[in-house]
Amino acid sequence: MLFSTSKHVDNPLPYYFKVSFHSALSVLNVNLITMSVLRPFKASDLFRFNNINLDVWTETYGITFYLTYLQRWSDLCFTQESPRGRLQGYILGKAEGAQTEWHGHITAVSVAPEYRRLSLARNMCQRLEFASDEIYKGYFVDLYVRCNNALAIKMYEGMGYSVYRRVREYYGNLGVGKDGRDEEDAFDMRKCLSRDVAQRSIRCNGRDMIVSAHDVS
Amino acid sequence: MSETALERQIRPIYDALDHGSNKSAINACNKVLKKYTNNTLVKALKALALTRSQKVEEALVLCDEILAAVVTDDSTLSVMTHVLKGLARNSDMVAMFDNAFKQQPQSEELGAQTFFAHVRTGNWKSCQQVATRMHKQFQEDRYVYWAVTGAILQANDLGTAPNIRTLLYKLAHRHVTSCPTPSYMAVDRFHLHLIILQELQLWDEANTLLESDIGKSICSASLVCNETRREIWRKRGLYKDEGERAQEKIKNNDRNWLEFVSVIDAAFASVQGPDVSEEGKSECSENIAKTRDFLTEIGEVDGSNNRSASLALLELEKNAFSHGISSDENTLVDSMENYFSQFGDKTCCFEDLRPCVDLGADAKARWISFLASEEPSFATTGDLQRVINVRKLQRISLAASELSTDKESCLASTYIEEYMAGLDLGSSLPVTELQPADDLAILVGHAFVSLWTMTKDESYLHNAAVVLEFALTKSRMSFQIRLLLVRIYRLLGASSLALDHYRAINIKQVQNDTLSHFLLTRALTFSLSATGDLTYPSECIESSQIYVSNSQDTPDFIIRAFTSEKYSQIPEFVSFDDRLENSLQRDIVKLEHVRMRMTHEPINSDLIDMELIELKFVFDRFHHDNRDFGMLPNYQPACQPSLNDQTLMFGNSTGQGWLWYFIKIYIRAFQHASDLDDIVEEKLLIGDRPKKSPEPEVQLPLRERLAIRKPEEVAELTADELQLMEWATAVSDWLEPYHDYTRPPPAMVLAEANKQNELRTGLPLRGVDLKALNANANANGHAKKDEEAPPVKEPPQLVTQFFENMHARFVQLQQSQCLPSDLLHVATLTQEAFLLFAVESHRFKTASVVKIHKLGALVQSLKDIRSKACTVLKTMSTDLLKMGEVAGSAERRKSFVESCKPITDFPRLHHDFVLNIAKNVGESRKKVLEGVGKGMVKICTNYGQ
Repeated sequence: MLFSTSKHVDNPLPYYFKVSFHSALSVLNVNLITMSVLRPFKASDLFRFNNINLDVWTETYGITFYLTYLQRWSDLCFTQESPRGRLQGYILGKAEGAQTEWHGHITAVSVAPEYRRLSLARNMCQRLEFASDEIYKGYFVDLYVRCNNALAIKMYEGMGYSVYRRVREYYGNLGVGKDGRDEEDAFDMRKCLSRDVAQRSIRCNGRDMIVSAHDVS
Repeated sequence: MSETALERQIRPIYDALDHGSNKSAINACNKVLKKYTNNTLVKALKALALTRSQKVEEALVLCDEILAAVVTDDSTLSVMTHVLKGLARNSDMVAMFDNAFKQQPQSEELGAQTFFAHVRTGNWKSCQQVATRMHKQFQEDRYVYWAVTGAILQANDLGTAPNIRTLLYKLAHRHVTSCPTPSYMAVDRFHLHLIILQELQLWDEANTLLESDIGKSICSASLVCNETRREIWRKRGLYKDEGERAQEKIKNNDRNWLEFVSVIDAAFASVQGPDVSEEGKSECSENIAKTRDFLTEIGEVDGSNNRSASLALLELEKNAFSHGISSDENTLVDSMENYFSQFGDKTCCFEDLRPCVDLGADAKARWISFLASEEPSFATTGDLQRVINVRKLQRISLAASELSTDKESCLASTYIEEYMAGLDLGSSLPVTELQPADDLAILVGHAFVSLWTMTKDESYLHNAAVVLEFALTKSRMSFQIRLLLVRIYRLLGASSLALDHYRAINIKQVQNDTLSHFLLTRALTFSLSATGDLTYPSECIESSQIYVSNSQDTPDFIIRAFTSEKYSQIPEFVSFDDRLENSLQRDIVKLEHVRMRMTHEPINSDLIDMELIELKFVFDRFHHDNRDFGMLPNYQPACQPSLNDQTLMFGNSTGQGWLWYFIKIYIRAFQHASDLDDIVEEKLLIGDRPKKSPEPEVQLPLRERLAIRKPEEVAELTADELQLMEWATAVSDWLEPYHDYTRPPPAMVLAEANKQNELRTGLPLRGVDLKALNANANANGHAKKDEEAPPVKEPPQLVTQFFENMHARFVQLQQSQCLPSDLLHVATLTQEAFLLFAVESHRFKTASVVKIHKLGALVQSLKDIRSKACTVLKTMSTDLLKMGEVAGSAERRKSFVESCKPITDFPRLHHDFVLNIAKNVGESRKKVLEGVGKGMVKICTNYGQ
């Protein structure tokens, strides 16, 4: 007989924080390769990430959220440390989907205000793409971004991502703000990995493909 | 009834439990139990429902019944796991699974559950043994690695001796090498293997593993394995090899800073160790030249696109000087100037250069004049950032001789002027963005705080508050500005404003552990809980929720990491769990809560007994200090304390020493007032005792530990807190003999507890032998003791004088230039002493106790002290109320505005803006002064008689 008391939350993220991305991040120099220590994200980093997480755009979740990521996808979670030993930013990702939908997903990427404009996010995304390709053999990497966050979208496009579809009301309960639908809708952006030789995971008219939030994982 | 029929009856019980209707679950259980009196599953379900409805005693009786027989069926075990977890009886859980697995050694599931039960209790030795047994039985490779992890965790335990540690690693090594499948089959197994080889320094074996094709490929894809590989290389002293490897990687466009570190380390390989030969030195200086060329070349290619090579050059020159290879600091200053020219427009430039600025006189003069030659420009955000970096670098290089109030005032106006100029650059930013000029406002804060520390003139703090409040209107989301305001408002005694800013930062989850010190350190000073305002006690409780979720959730993840074979995460999770479970901040907040609790809850045996047990647990912990003091920036001159230290209320924070001192006061007072001695406590305790710290001091008898006084611990107390400590010790020493003499014997206490329990639940206390108790009680007569009552002594002078001394101190502070927080500190400590006195004299309030033991004279002394104390508290209260009145007055607002003269010349900081801040500060101060004052009167009314 099944006894259910502990509720294991598979996706404990509130809708409106799927990707916490600061727009200032997106001003970047394409040639700039970052200088910092890239290493695995560790549980003890939760005691040290205040300079990143006190920023308004970065959500601090319950410890089960971080422990779930570390326990299941530790090789998709990285942090960048400055040469002087401070945490600069981190990325948390996961692998999901079936068959040709098997892919790496960027759940959260965040950089402390004082380390922006150093292309740290780009560097961490590249590492996540590398791991999704080498370790997980995924077909693509994807992420969600608010439709009105033009700077971030431009940056992702610069990194090789393209809009695959528009997800209606993905960032839910914020209500329709000054940017109307663009504020609560998300673009699902994708970038092919080497396994997707025929590049079937992407399409050119993605902005016109509209799905509802219930249809996406 | 058939089995399916029984199942049909059980189903609703589960449903009721799932829906949280424990009462109907109990009823349903009772119904089934009428027919099936011995059904353990139903009994277990009933125990669960009882536990969840706080009927602990009844649940325990059922648990005992169930556990008396060996439980082996899955459903009952699963339910019992929840019951025992709820009761915090992990040791029972371990025994339950151990027995079950012994009974059915062929059940792999039971084996795993037994293993997990040991994981929950952190008993790594047993983990290792169970896993070894499982491997023998089921021949699964992963159990070998479970055993290995168990051995490593046991080795890493604080209490494990170094020789045992090595032994355990050797055992782990044997396990890994005897495993039929090689470790490289899985990354996490491979990593575990590397860790063992590293610890045992088995370099040849490590080399074979790492140099194999598969080893190389694992390290190239797995960051965690590569990290360990690098450490092994360094430990082997292979700096040169690693340096060459790193140079290759850098040439191939890898810019991971670790590669640059390897290159620099390689350059200094020949001068490592204590004895450096001349040859070593000359080899080193050749290497430095080569490395300089290499880095310069890379730096030229990268240009301003990448700062790694330039920063590595800085490191190289700095090390060359500190190792005594180079005697000329000019090369270092050259690199610094180059670095600044290239990367001065990045925020991180300051952090990058900071370690280099500790220069000799000539070099420093050159550096300072370089900085001075930078023409400030506000054309672009890059230019603004340059200005900010120059100001920060100049500021940290200020010498003590240069610092004066004039200089600081002058700097403050420069910073404000430049801040205002910089604001225009961010005028079109959305409200959620941070202003690029923010750091200049923070520098203004630095200058005014520095002025305040020099002069102790409060008005400088007003200026700081105004500028920072203004900066917040432009940069609403700046947590750095808010945190600095929290500090300043606490100093100013405007505690509600501090609270507002703290809340606006939206600190949650694990951040409570690292950051709640900003608000809750010595929060008793501002707590109005005596008047029924429970804001601060609730903040304490809310910030402590994280520890509950940690103990509920983290062990599950450790277990999951075992099942999913993520061995690299397990030590991390274990240490994370330990750091939160035994967090210093957790217990500092706990104690702060106890201090506040006493001001608004009746002091009775419930409160005393419970807090006594909990504080004794706290006293046994090995603490970890997770507090984050790095969130306040620091640009103060190197000759000054950091901004963090300058803005700490009363000049210091509450660390381990403070906690130990206060806990000793409280444990002793509660021990005196409580009837629980060790025997009774043992009988009445429900859950397991927490793990005890392995520190030798903790192994001493409690009595001895309570008497320990250490200078480094005293250093964390304020002078007034030390007074309180000495007074409390004197009171305890004076009253202890009377407490010990009049405390009822354990048998009586237990009999009483038993009676209460029977009244409440209809059941006797479990584990208490009433017959033996009665026999004892009869033999002893009725609490009559053989020895004579201790003669009543006069109270020591220290005890009687204390309250008057505190009053004198209060008056002296009032007359001097002091902050309201200092006054509140003295007032609340006096009030705390009064409450501690109420605890210490609690036992002697019962007339019969006094009469039987002829303690009339003692009670008279207590009364005298109490009435004196009351008088003092009431006087203080009247003064506080008066001060509150003044703090909120229009004149005060006016003088606040006048004190901000240095900044009101800036049109944006106009009169109305400043007046508004003055009003807020005045009202907030009024609220806390009046609240504390009123609370003191209330406490006098409650305990004055």
